[in-house]
Amino acid sequence: MAQPILGHGSLQPASAAGLASLELDSSLDQYVQIRIFKIIVIGDSNVGKTCLTFRFCGGTFPDKTEATIGVDFREKTVEIEGEKIKVQVWDTAGQERFRKSMVEHYYRNVHAVVFVYDVTKMTSFTNLKMWIQECNGHAVPPLVPKVLVGNKCDLREQIQVPSNLALKFADAHNMLLFETSAKDPKESQNVESIFMCLACRLKAQKSLLYRDAERQQGKVQKLESPQEANSKASCPC
Amino acid sequence: MALRSAQGDGPTSSRWDGGAEKTDFTAKRKKKVAEIYQALNSDPTDVAALRRMAISEGGLLTDEIRQKVWPKLLNVNTNDPPPISGKDLRQVSKDYQQVLLDVRRSLRRFPPGMPEEQREGLQEELIDIILLILERNPQLHYYQGYHDIVVTFLLVVGEGLATSLVEKLSTHHLRDFMDPTMDNTKHILNCLMPIIDQVNPELHDFMQSAEVGTIFALSWLITWFGHVLSDFRHVVRLYDFFLACHPLMPIYFAAVIVLHREQEVLDCDCDMASVHHLLSQIPQDLPYETLISRAGDLFVQFPPSKLALDAAAQQQAEKTAASTFKDFELASAQQRPDTVLRQRFRGLLRPEERTKDVLTKPRTNHFVKLAVMGLTVALGAAALAVVKSALEWAPKFQLQLFP
Repeated sequence: MAQPILGHGSLQPASAAGLASLELDSSLDQYVQIRIFKIIVIGDSNVGKTCLTFRFCGGTFPDKTEATIGVDFREKTVEIEGEKIKVQVWDTAGQERFRKSMVEHYYRNVHAVVFVYDVTKMTSFTNLKMWIQECNGHAVPPLVPKVLVGNKCDLREQIQVPSNLALKFADAHNMLLFETSAKDPKESQNVESIFMCLACRLKAQKSLLYRDAERQQGKVQKLESPQEANSKASCPC
Repeated sequence: MALRSAQGDGPTSSRWDGGAEKTDFTAKRKKKVAEIYQALNSDPTDVAALRRMAISEGGLLTDEIRQKVWPKLLNVNTNDPPPISGKDLRQVSKDYQQVLLDVRRSLRRFPPGMPEEQREGLQEELIDIILLILERNPQLHYYQGYHDIVVTFLLVVGEGLATSLVEKLSTHHLRDFMDPTMDNTKHILNCLMPIIDQVNPELHDFMQSAEVGTIFALSWLITWFGHVLSDFRHVVRLYDFFLACHPLMPIYFAAVIVLHREQEVLDCDCDMASVHHLLSQIPQDLPYETLISRAGDLFVQFPPSKLALDAAAQQQAEKTAASTFKDFELASAQQRPDTVLRQRFRGLLRPEERTKDVLTKPRTNHFVKLAVMGLTVALGAAALAVVKSALEWAPKFQLQLFP
């Protein structure tokens, strides 16, 4: 069983982009109305959805993840430009049979969708079409931000999905593309930046009314090192 | 092959701990072992007695006993040679890739100290068993979590017998989970809230307002808790219970866990995320014996036919019962019909040994019914539920017994 970690993660100094993860402070919850961003993570079995959400919510790569059955939930409170935001991540089962009747309840009112594929497995990429249909089938509004994440890019020798192919696909579907590795500790900040990027966008939506989504489309964020990440993965909004 | 026989020992209930009660426990346990062997050795085998042993406190006690009793509970003849695969299924099976992914990631299901080589060997066996059953039963569809069930059988009874047992289980208890879609699984999950409502309307209403859904219990149901409990002893104890009971018993047990955690749930923020998160984290120190007994009581008080289910769920509950349960009970009845009867009459004749109404909701009148039935505490309500449900869902069978 996956062990969700609530609000774990050290207090970091605010980065240039004004992002910092904060410990979940329940006492504060009572007084401040915290906005909640609900993100659903979907994609084929074994592409690393659970590990990605762990990386973001818990900071570490779990060495023994199992198949997710149904839907797992993790969350993390972050601070963006002075506002505390609770990011809820719903991690779903990859096997097809769980998608239809089981998971639909969890598509309700999602603020963003993260599509994950495995860069070392072409079928997980070609199946994305089906995942997009699935997402549309659950009546996720077209303006809900979607990002595409190619995981396991630490396995350089085995890469089957070239970046330019993924980029083309992301362009066509109005998504941002990230290539990363949930496993590589050097990439951990990059994983965080994917979710933070979404959170930033969601925060900005209030005023920007989705214009941002159009402007940013198709910009690949290839995350190679933490240093690069700091410069590249800054809040896009 | 007994891989874990030594680890199946020991009580899981805290009630049995403590020095003064230790002798009592040893004596009780010894007595139970003797009773189990007596039932096993009687001719024909007293399956109804074995069923009661599997349900009552401590379950079947050791893996050595489980190797002998589980086949009886599933009506599998251990003398039959285990099914053998004729071809290399890995090359032809459409499920191979998914099974491989799931089995490779199932490291946690194996005992922590097990040498890597041995574990890898067992994982290969696990894949073979699953593919063989799927190949022999094309109507069955693999689901993630099925491997958690199969591994439990593999670790307790070994590859050959595990194949026979799981094949039987898959065409009966697990049948609904193995449909082409999960619709029937969903119908079964839909029994959860009505059960909770019967016992604790406040908790039910809270969970409804939170819109938590029932997916938190999905892995519990379709893996018989094998996916979520880290202590293997607890897993096999529950398997004893479920193998002896009606196929819907796991959903009653799920309800009992939620009810047990009432205060935690009510203290939670009333939203989907908080409640889902709380409930999906199953505590590892649950009082299993108490909960098993409560689940049995609940089943008797609020059998599937009495739950306020939507039509589809109701139909499903009845269909499940009819399709999966009748032949087990008939099989055991053929071996020892008088035991079933005697058990039933003993229950009726001893009103002084009524079970406690631990879970009775004031607004229902089921308590009256329960008192009339006069369940014996020692036996456990669930054991009677087994008998009762067999009679309820198999009218022809009842006629045979009451000529």
